[in-house]
Amino acid sequence: MPSPDRRRFLSSAVLGGTAVAGATALGSLAPETAFAAPKIDLDPGARDPNFAEGRITAISGSLLKVSGSDKALHRVYVTHGTSVWKLRPTTFDEIKVGDGLYARGVKMPDGALAADAVWVNIVNLDASITAIDSGRLHLQHNGKKVVGHVVSGTTAAVYNHTPAISDLSGLQVGKHVKVIGAWRPDTNEVDVATVYAGI
Amino acid sequence: MGCSNSGAPAYGEMSWFCCGASWGPCGSAGGGACGNCNSGSHQCAWPNTSTGCFDITRPDQCGENLSRRTCGHVFYVTSQCGGGCVSVSIADCGPDTNRFCGERTCCGSACASNRLIDLTPSAYSAIASLSTGLSPVRIDS
Repeated sequence: MPSPDRRRFLSSAVLGGTAVAGATALGSLAPETAFAAPKIDLDPGARDPNFAEGRITAISGSLLKVSGSDKALHRVYVTHGTSVWKLRPTTFDEIKVGDGLYARGVKMPDGALAADAVWVNIVNLDASITAIDSGRLHLQHNGKKVVGHVVSGTTAAVYNHTPAISDLSGLQVGKHVKVIGAWRPDTNEVDVATVYAGI
Repeated sequence: MGCSNSGAPAYGEMSWFCCGASWGPCGSAGGGACGNCNSGSHQCAWPNTSTGCFDITRPDQCGENLSRRTCGHVFYVTSQCGGGCVSVSIADCGPDTNRFCGERTCCGSACASNRLIDLTPSAYSAIASLSTGLSPVRIDS
C-alpha cells in the first residue's frame, strides 16, 4: 500500500491529467516502499476496492481498460510512479492488449484505479516437474500440463534459501517446485522468472 | 485482536494463490475448499482446515504445530519485510507444507521457515509484491 504522501501524489497526478506526462519527484516506486504501510483497514474476506484483475481489452494513453474475470470492468491508470512487472521489472510499453493483469493502487473518485503496481501475466504455480529438456521445464499444475520456458538472463532458481542463481542443474524430474513466471496469453506456456525448489 | 498482539503467533513463509474466476493457468482454480474463494478478496488458504486437509498438507512433518481453523476464521498476517499487515479469512486448504519442509525465506535479517499460509493476490499484494513469490511473515489469530 502506498504511503499517505504517495497516495496523494497518485491521486493528484491522475486527476490533474499528468498521468504519464512527467517524471515524479517521488521517483519510481520500489516494492519495499510500496508495501511498507503498517496496516490495511479492510474487513477480512471483503473485496478490495484498491485491487483489480482481469484481461486488458484496450490501451488508451496511460489508461488500461480491463475486463475482470468476474465480468467487472476496470479502468487502471499507469503513472511514472507505477511499478510495472512483466516477467521482470519493465516499462509501460511492454503491456499489450490481451495480457492478464493484477493491479494495486488507489481508487479514484470516478472509479478508476491509479496504480501503484501492476503485474502483467504473472502466475504463481505449485507444480511438479515431469520432464526437463533444452530450455524448457515440463510441469504438472492442478492436473494440467504447463510448459515453462527458460529465459536466458532472466530465469533463476532458488534452492531452499539460497540466493537466486541462473544454474538450473539442481532441478529434478518428479520434484515439486513453485514457479513465478509470465503467462503467454491464451496458451499453456509460461516464461519462468523464478523457480523455487527444495533440496 | 490486532495485527501483532496475540500471545502465540506463528512465523513462516507466505505465498499467494489465485482462486475464483481467473485468467490463464488460474482459470480452473475454482472457489476453493470453502467454495467462496476469490482472488480479489482478502482471503487465505490454511493447512489445517479439516482432517482431510491436514492429511494432505501435513505441517507436523515439518515440525509445525498449527491449530485447526475452519472456513471464515480470520488471521492477521504481518510482513517481516515491510511491516505491512493484512487481515484475511480462510477460504481454502493449503499450502502443501510438507512438500517443502525446511525451506527458508529471508528478507534482510528477518527469516522464516516452512510454508504456512497462502494469500489471495489482493491480500498478498497489500503487503508484498506478487513477484516475490515467497515472503516471511508473522501470523496472529
